[in-house]
Amino acid sequence: MSKDQPKPTTLTPEGAVLLCWSCQAPVGGDAFCRSCMKIQPPAQEDYYLALGLDRKLALAAGDLETRFHEMSWKLHPDNFHKASVLERTLSLKQSSILNDAYRTLRHPVARTEYLLRIEGARREGAKKQQAPQDLLEEVFALNEFLDEMRMEKRAGHAVPEELAGRLKEAKKNFEAKLKKVDDELTATFGNWDALPTGAAAEAKKPVLDRLNAILNRRSYIRNLLEDVQEVMEV
Amino acid sequence: MGKVVGIDLGTTFSLVAYTEFGQPNCIQGPAGTTLCPSVVSLDEDGQVVVGELARQRLLTHPERTIYSVKRLMGRGVEDVREELKIFPFRIDEKSKNVIRVRLGGGAEHRSNRGERVFTPPEISAFILRELKSWAETFFGEEVDRAVITVPAYFNDSQRQATKDAGTLAGLEVLRLVNEPTAASLAYGLDKRRNGRIAVYDFGGGTFDISILKLKDGIFEVQSTNGDTHLGGDDIDNLLVEYLVEKLNACFEDRQPLDALVRQHLRKQAIQIKHELSVKETVAVHLATWDLPQGNHGSGADKLQLSFDLSRAEFEQMVEPIIERTLGPVRLALKDAGLKPAEIDEVVLVGGSTRMPLVRRRVEELFGRKPHCELNPDEVVALGAAVQADILEGGVKDMLLLDVTPLSLGIETMGGAVARIIPRNSTIPASASEMFTTAVEGQTSIDIHVLQGEREMARDCRSLARFQLKPIAPAPAGLPRIEVKFLIDANGILTVAAADLHTGREQKVEVKPSYGLSEAEIERMIEESFTFAEQDFKQRQLVEARNEAEAILKATEKSLGDESASLLGAGERAAIEASLAELKAVTTGEDYKKIREVIDQLNQATYHLAEILMDSAVQATLKGKKLNEV
Repeated sequence: MSKDQPKPTTLTPEGAVLLCWSCQAPVGGDAFCRSCMKIQPPAQEDYYLALGLDRKLALAAGDLETRFHEMSWKLHPDNFHKASVLERTLSLKQSSILNDAYRTLRHPVARTEYLLRIEGARREGAKKQQAPQDLLEEVFALNEFLDEMRMEKRAGHAVPEELAGRLKEAKKNFEAKLKKVDDELTATFGNWDALPTGAAAEAKKPVLDRLNAILNRRSYIRNLLEDVQEVMEV
Repeated sequence: MGKVVGIDLGTTFSLVAYTEFGQPNCIQGPAGTTLCPSVVSLDEDGQVVVGELARQRLLTHPERTIYSVKRLMGRGVEDVREELKIFPFRIDEKSKNVIRVRLGGGAEHRSNRGERVFTPPEISAFILRELKSWAETFFGEEVDRAVITVPAYFNDSQRQATKDAGTLAGLEVLRLVNEPTAASLAYGLDKRRNGRIAVYDFGGGTFDISILKLKDGIFEVQSTNGDTHLGGDDIDNLLVEYLVEKLNACFEDRQPLDALVRQHLRKQAIQIKHELSVKETVAVHLATWDLPQGNHGSGADKLQLSFDLSRAEFEQMVEPIIERTLGPVRLALKDAGLKPAEIDEVVLVGGSTRMPLVRRRVEELFGRKPHCELNPDEVVALGAAVQADILEGGVKDMLLLDVTPLSLGIETMGGAVARIIPRNSTIPASASEMFTTAVEGQTSIDIHVLQGEREMARDCRSLARFQLKPIAPAPAGLPRIEVKFLIDANGILTVAAADLHTGREQKVEVKPSYGLSEAEIERMIEESFTFAEQDFKQRQLVEARNEAEAILKATEKSLGDESASLLGAGERAAIEASLAELKAVTTGEDYKKIREVIDQLNQATYHLAEILMDSAVQATLKGKKLNEV
């Protein structure tokens, strides 16, 4: 079951200047105060900020890991064992956000979903998802076939080889479709990344809508595959 | 502040280790071994005995002795029903979500004196206290903080129970570290290598598999899996059943084997298991006269049963148990997105990995020879000591990034589970959820938190129920309460909530589903203090009595000596009065009074001692040996 990612909570009113809790020097959302080096509260629960990244979609896995490790050395609670209670709490908060960020951004699909969410553009399909138009026929046939299989199994019959073969065929077919959607998704990354920082909402919208549509299609196909898997396993 | 140690609180054995100049070492106990049997026994005087002495009492006082208590940590009675069929735990009838174990009081042996009821964390605390005292003797100073290891697959309640045990033992638990990851720290210490390693940790009662990525000092756990109820214990039990069958086949009238016989057979089974790791065949001798009376076959007083057991037969018997470890291994690989061939090194941890069959199976699965050059018994404790040193700021070039073994979820409508932190998330990990009210004027919201991978709440492990309360009355759906779930670096969950309208912290009331409440722990700590005081008094009394007896004997002997005639009448009367008084107080319970009278007697006999001394000197001058005087 997939769950909504937490929305980034703005902890400070817009335009407010953050001051270091220890030395009162201004801190611009950095994890550490530049003047006294003390750890700071997370300014925003923004996964991109946590890893020091721009809001782009095409991220190199190696680069992401290097950043994650670099930040872990600095923020991990192990480093604050002898520090004050406040600093220990801050390290716990900072490092949990860092870990959540890495977990989310390292996977292209979760990353896209997160980006859409913080851009306020994630629209999931209706609860009973409608099959994409071009898949209607295939899906209808598949579901009918899956029902047939379930009935055979419930009756305790051995699955005829012919049906088992068709099931494998269906699995292969939809796996190929999933792969195609994934390729389409990564191909669209470039469209988003090409937009200049601070692009107008009208410029972003078509790209975000397209990404959203791809994610919906993907989750539809993935659910179908799970159904197939379930019938194969039982 | 006192010293810091690393402790492996194991099912069968526990160890304590420390780090000095970057090098971890295990500490030996008084018996000269680093392994402390995780066995606790209550003697007839109500004193607690731990370790090797307790293990010996398994054979003499099984009803007063408990082993493998780790299996009960953080569990409820319902969880261990199956186990109770095999393990001779005596569970108090009243226990529910916290097990209470009875020690002593069995009608079948000796007296009913000193029966006591303990929770698993209390029993584990006795083991921790023993290790603490080993370390304190070793350092000559106080030890008050520790890193304690837990099976990677331990859930929140099992972790909390372990932490509670530390608190009860007077140790500040700096960190709970997963056993396989601790082992990887000890393993990676002097090797400084990069790559992917699999740690296969098969211990006395638990099985863990962890897949790690080592990169420039960062030990990043990719995935973990396991079974907290699978270990060498299960193999022992299987062998015991086998021996029981063999014995039963010899007796015409079967009698149920009592706890004592089972312990004898268990000891033998463990020995057979160990021998079959190095030998191809073991000659087994079961002699009925080794067994306590009451279990002989009728008229078969001296039945002797001898047979050979080959490793092949043994392996066939235990194969299903070893097979059960491979499922979690495959799942861990799948979660890490790796094929067995992509693992660079395999490390074996835990005593059960000494079995050749285990080594073969692991080698087959990964297609490479596993590492076993490190002592599989000690490596976890050594790793705990390394982690303790990291926290103390000694080791600066290693960092462990561990994961939570089980998904965290909350119960939604219809009993389904919404997953909020997936398994294998690096810890600390967090999740935020927004809650609101369903009806107008609702003043509280209930949240049920679970751990596990199943879709329905009833199939997952209930961790706790949280209540957000009070909530200011408002129309339905208007309150916005954000709840933050945070799994800390120990793998333990904490929850905080904020009312987003007021920006104020929202109170959360927590009812843990399993485990002890804070009030209970406080009460236990108090009790353990009074209990420790009792222990102390008891020990003082025994020592004072022994001393009194020795002095009584010596004084009476001296008074009979011919040179004692040199004493004045008043002196003799004073000594005799003191003697009588000492005899009287020795039967009492007041050790201070006994000591007082001993002092009094010592004073009264001062002149007598001088006289005897003189006469001894004279005797020596006459050429007699001193000991003849």
